[in-house]
Amino acid sequence: MRKKWMAAALCMVMAAALAGCGTQKEESKEAKNGADINGDGKVVVGCLAKNLVDPFQVVLNSAVEEGVEALMEEGIVDEWTGILDAESDAGKQVDRASECISKQCDIVIMLPAETTASDPALTSMADAGIKVLMLNAKTDSTDEVAASYSGSDDVEAGEKLAQYVIEQVPEGGKYAHCLGVVGNSAQIARGEGIENVMGEHPEFECIGEFPCEWAADKAANVATDMLNKYGKELKAIICDNDDMSSAAQQVCNNAGRDDIICIGVDGSQTAMAMIKEGSLKGTILQDGKAQVEQSVDVIRKMAEGEEYDKEILVPFVTITKENVDDYYEEK
Amino acid sequence: MENVKAGRVTDREKTRMFMGKYGIGVVLLFMMIGISIIEPAFRSGSNMINVATQVSINAMISYGMCLAITTEGIDLSVGAQLALVSCTIGQLITNSGWNVWSACIVALLVATVWGFINGFLVSKFNMFPFVVTLSTQLIIRGFAQVISGGQSIPVTNSTFKQIYSAKAGILPVPIILLIVVTVVMYLLLHWTKYGRYVFAVGDNMQAAIASGVNVFKVKTIAYTISGLLAGIAGIIFTAKTGSAQSNIGVGYETDAVAACVLGGTSFAGGITTIPGVLMGIFIIGFIYNGMNLIGIDSYYQSMTKGIVIILAVLLDMVMNKKNT
Repeated sequence: MRKKWMAAALCMVMAAALAGCGTQKEESKEAKNGADINGDGKVVVGCLAKNLVDPFQVVLNSAVEEGVEALMEEGIVDEWTGILDAESDAGKQVDRASECISKQCDIVIMLPAETTASDPALTSMADAGIKVLMLNAKTDSTDEVAASYSGSDDVEAGEKLAQYVIEQVPEGGKYAHCLGVVGNSAQIARGEGIENVMGEHPEFECIGEFPCEWAADKAANVATDMLNKYGKELKAIICDNDDMSSAAQQVCNNAGRDDIICIGVDGSQTAMAMIKEGSLKGTILQDGKAQVEQSVDVIRKMAEGEEYDKEILVPFVTITKENVDDYYEEK
Repeated sequence: MENVKAGRVTDREKTRMFMGKYGIGVVLLFMMIGISIIEPAFRSGSNMINVATQVSINAMISYGMCLAITTEGIDLSVGAQLALVSCTIGQLITNSGWNVWSACIVALLVATVWGFINGFLVSKFNMFPFVVTLSTQLIIRGFAQVISGGQSIPVTNSTFKQIYSAKAGILPVPIILLIVVTVVMYLLLHWTKYGRYVFAVGDNMQAAIASGVNVFKVKTIAYTISGLLAGIAGIIFTAKTGSAQSNIGVGYETDAVAACVLGGTSFAGGITTIPGVLMGIFIIGFIYNGMNLIGIDSYYQSMTKGIVIILAVLLDMVMNKKNT
């Protein structure tokens, strides 16, 4: 008896679910704006995040959330997926992309988890007719199939690093260079930028490029060693990121050498706080918020049927004590 | 009269047994219906195919895991196996120009051998499976890093990528693999002598030994199969992303264990069913997929996953208790 009762109940629920399948979507709404790529009368935006844990990714994610919610208030976007987390796993990012396709997204903002391995996420969405806006980093076929890319050029970051050192130490001298993970695209590009500028300034001499894998403690060791070896001759330590530069500066300051210029890229909270209190002189900020604003702006332009750029490069900003307050709020 | 009454009781008992065995299926069904009502995009055919394709990787690992757990063990090395298989394939196809199929066979062999090593250490020296696979996990990932030099190797060979994207009719290859492996595992566990030995060893090892079951052989084969299945998962993963990397598969054993537990696999050993594990696999897949489609904030997703697993297992246990 019970079995029959249950079977009947299940049948009814399933029938109800199937009946639900039959109801048609409202298609009375006319294509109200140019951002409705698939023409179903509503604009759905997807957001693929790299992860929810890296400090810089957190900045980007919350800027994306803010930007898309603003678009929804303006009535340009009807729905969005929320931030879809790839947990830094390209395989999971491909899964999240297929969910954006199921959800019939018109536009997807994507922060790639990996350069090569996340590429299938981009290509599968592009094949499904979705306009993909790549943010912050590129995957292999970004130039060919993405609707637009907004990010920054790391070569420029390298050039700004070198320029800052030249401005601060016009007479020249010896400098050390702490590298990120060797072979990483940001490491290569930043190194190239430093080389571009320093190559034209023979008064500067590089006393070594040290692989520090973005890690603060390794950069601190390099600073200690170089201070011992070169003493007063050492004028600057250029680092590929802020974690390393703030650690190196700490070592120099503790050794009574706060005249040494340590500078890195990112605009991390630690670096900003140190600049504010004067223990670090500067950083090259990667302006994540501005990158996101550009992507959000592309959606706005799509909606209004305007032209938009296929590649938007957001400049890095040199942060010093003078302008730190514009970019940093104490928490 | 007496007979009719007896008949009724067996009927009711049958229902209870059905619920005890497949209560998780009811959970799965209600979950699907619930998500469908909230988010219509969920029940589209293409989304169902998506989910089945997505879960295929976890499914391979879970079947291996359920063998290990049923023999009172666990296999924590599966995530690292994925990485090693991926790097082996990248090295052979991209850097050495091997033929796709021979590269896949070699990669599967590598994973199988590591599975055998796990099983050998567990059964020959009677070491704790947790400790053995925790250690081999480190060694295997180390090998993957050595092979790849810590860098990602693009695998652009289109034949190889077809392993993930090619379709027979509407079914992509990973789903076909999923079906084949499910059937084979079902037959192996529920229809062969080996399957009965697995249950015997997990249920009561001393009794199994006393009845002349070769425990060494049963356990070693269980881990070897787990290795082979992790190898298949690694191939699917690499074809999916088109890139061989040593950092993939971190934490994948968690989802596999979760799927086994949801499917009614007992950590005390000796209890599991392949259909149950399959349903567990799909529940995990639907949790991810459903939450993303509904738009539940990612910050709450892992919490939700944990709660759903506990509730589902609790429900399953309550139902089982009623039966006994």
